[in-house]
Amino acid sequence: MRIPRSAVLAVAAGVAALVLWAWLTRGTDDERAIRRRLSEFAEDFNAGTTDGVGLAARAARLGSYFTDDIVVDFGPGAGPITGREMLMGIATRLQPRTAAFMLELDDVTVDVALADVAEVTLTTLFRRRSVADGETSLDAREFSLGMRKVGGDWRVARITAVDILR
Amino acid sequence: MMPTYESGSLRLVNKLSFWGGRRPGRGDIVAIKLAGPHVLYVKRIVGLPGERVAIAGGMVQVNGMPLVEPYVHVRKPWDYDEVTLSPREYFVIGDNRGAASRGDFGRVDASRIVGKLLF
Repeated sequence: MRIPRSAVLAVAAGVAALVLWAWLTRGTDDERAIRRRLSEFAEDFNAGTTDGVGLAARAARLGSYFTDDIVVDFGPGAGPITGREMLMGIATRLQPRTAAFMLELDDVTVDVALADVAEVTLTTLFRRRSVADGETSLDAREFSLGMRKVGGDWRVARITAVDILR
Repeated sequence: MMPTYESGSLRLVNKLSFWGGRRPGRGDIVAIKLAGPHVLYVKRIVGLPGERVAIAGGMVQVNGMPLVEPYVHVRKPWDYDEVTLSPREYFVIGDNRGAASRGDFGRVDASRIVGKLLF
């Protein structure tokens, strides 16, 4: 049975279109997954608690957003923080108990370089309100993140503060 | 940028201020972008490309000469070692010198300046 040439061409074009669609949307899915992951991190970060048990559980939950070998570089004047254990330990000790605070992530740009590696730039807004006098302070900083997909979840492997004003 | 502008107040930035070869000038209050267009620093330009800028006793010095700044009402007596600005750098600082800390002032690349505040 002879297959018409037009049919062969149509099938080939359809397969090519399917491959192109898969290639274009694959990156988009990862971008969406990363944005969702970062949004979930901010929500978990902002879910406050002041009792001892809650703090430990919260630290464990927040730790799941980072790789074991995460490196945090805040720039000149501050030594790097290496490893998830160190990061969570420092974060737990520094958690203020006399202030309400809120973390927002804005201007998030995601670049998925490979199947399991991505670069993210974003601005963090940290709003802190003192319980004592109600004063509110706002700190905004730009960060560059290196993300890695581990066990199907995107995790932060590197955090680098970007110095806008040097 | 207090007392010139209150924190959280709504301002208008003219993104066309520095098009067509126009460049920021000393005294201009400019918006500086971070990772994107939604969050901006608001600072005043006190140093221009190629100039030497230092802070001595809270006073800004440009090329060794103290800068007259009538918009500054409160100062802290702090010092900042002299830096020479590259051809693409401006030195910016907020007007609230009484509360200035590292990160509130410094050299910024021209590419980060998005426009001049209109009001």
